[in-house]
Amino acid sequence: MSARLELRLRVRLAGFELELDLASDADALGLFGPSGAGKTSALEVVAGWRRPSEGIVRLSGRTLFDSSRGIDLAPERRGVGYVPQDLLLFEHWSVRENIAAGGARASGAARGGILERAARVLELDPLLERSVATLSGGERQRVALARALGSGPDLLLLDEPLGSLDLPLRRRILPYILRVREEFGTPMVLVSHDPLEVGVLCDVVCVLREGRQVARGRPAEVLAGAEGAPAVGAEVENVLRGRVGAVRGASATLELGAGVKLEVPAPGLEPGGRAVVALRADDVLVATRRPEGLSARNVLPARVRDIVQREGRVLMTAELGPGVDPISVELTPESTRELGLETARQVFLIVKTRSCRVMAALPPSATL
Amino acid sequence: MDGDTAYALSALAVSLRVALGATALVLLPGVALGRLLARSDFPGKSAVETFVALPLVLPPTAVGYLVLRLFARDGPLGQRVLGFDPDVILTWRGAVIASAAMALPLVARTARVAFEGVPARLELMGRSLGLSRAQVLRRITLPLARGGLAAAALLGFGRALGEFGATVVVAGSIPGRTQTLSIAIFEDIQLGRGGRALAMIGLSTLLAFATVWSVEALLRSRRPAA
Repeated sequence: MSARLELRLRVRLAGFELELDLASDADALGLFGPSGAGKTSALEVVAGWRRPSEGIVRLSGRTLFDSSRGIDLAPERRGVGYVPQDLLLFEHWSVRENIAAGGARASGAARGGILERAARVLELDPLLERSVATLSGGERQRVALARALGSGPDLLLLDEPLGSLDLPLRRRILPYILRVREEFGTPMVLVSHDPLEVGVLCDVVCVLREGRQVARGRPAEVLAGAEGAPAVGAEVENVLRGRVGAVRGASATLELGAGVKLEVPAPGLEPGGRAVVALRADDVLVATRRPEGLSARNVLPARVRDIVQREGRVLMTAELGPGVDPISVELTPESTRELGLETARQVFLIVKTRSCRVMAALPPSATL
Repeated sequence: MDGDTAYALSALAVSLRVALGATALVLLPGVALGRLLARSDFPGKSAVETFVALPLVLPPTAVGYLVLRLFARDGPLGQRVLGFDPDVILTWRGAVIASAAMALPLVARTARVAFEGVPARLELMGRSLGLSRAQVLRRITLPLARGGLAAAALLGFGRALGEFGATVVVAGSIPGRTQTLSIAIFEDIQLGRGGRALAMIGLSTLLAFATVWSVEALLRSRRPAA
């Protein structure tokens, strides 16, 4: 059985050569790394916009490119939906015309259905007759996404889907992308230099640096540096997923699994729904004994999995329970020493409700 | 209507007929050439570019003479080769062909700029959405390049309107048939009819003003590319 996406290629770029060798079955694969690492070029190769000097690109067993066999499918025959960073909306058309542009590939009834679904899921129905030139940044992002979906692609490529948006807008667009994942089930490859974005959206992340893959795995593991990945970003964010339990006043209980519960801000959450929450590694406190008389609502028993020191900072990863993503905590070398933290030691993680930022609220059926 | 007015209006009619004919003749090859130069890379591209630009620099009479030789009885497109008389020399058709040759570089260059104003990535996006090359050209490229292409056509029209050297060599100066405004003005100056020449110069100025103004308006209204 061949992998869903197979990339083995070399691409000559200005200053270096991008070399990729990966096979992935992930629903959402993240390509993560600093700018200039070759992430966008990798997407362009898959879309057929850029020709590698050699290699193979396969999608669900279909060969899109194979230099040794002289195969190089034209972009219109690849079945790949691409949302580039600059979106490339057709400014001379309305929202509806933009979304329908890709309908050419899907035929008949399937076509009508997919356009309506894309417009509904991305809440574009009220905007359909508007000219895209009059839209806001977030609206444009959604139109580009709907347009790509409307072409009925076998794979969706997203280049920094939130990169150009300001922070409040990111929080509004993120749930849309999660919903697209949920409702369409189209596999995605997502490029980002934002660990939070990758953590929330991807189930596997591949870290690129100067054209080479340097680490790969689950975002929670790789991005926190737990497996010895190099420093990849200034801030480490934990991304926690769970089911919403009781909602009481300003806070709600998020059940992370294995009996682990987290009190998070309630706005937007409904009992029974699913939610994705972000938590900065330096917003978590560590105690070696269960603290008492504390204002923070969350005191989570955990076990130290590993401690990594890099660039004068210490990153401790702690396990909360089986099937729950570990939580990373940023510490100073001094406090690590004074607390006597070491692998396998029992600790308590202290988290304020307000430190948990709800990134997305999803319906109960969501599988994320 | 006195004789002078009739003379001037007749020259104006010939001018418009020749310029419109030349524009129609040159538009498709000029736009195709502009597209080719804007988007394709092929060996000998710079040679093609230079060749297309030649009429801008060559003396118009030289271009006219080359057209004349091309359509002469023994020429590559003459009666002997074609098997019929193309009826180009000393006819309004000849004037059309001569001024079209002179207008081609301007049309091709302006069309090229118009096509270059449409980002290639926008066309790639169309194809990634499943549109064929032809659909991308029709639905994305041409509508976005529309203003620039219209300007190319108008500039070609304007160039053909003012053409003198090539036209007079190929088509001569037959009043009512091949005598355009620019040829009529030249003849009047030669014959010392300064007054009528000035009147026709005024007519030409009005026409030129309208053309140039339209070109500028079209280029200004060109939609900003994404």
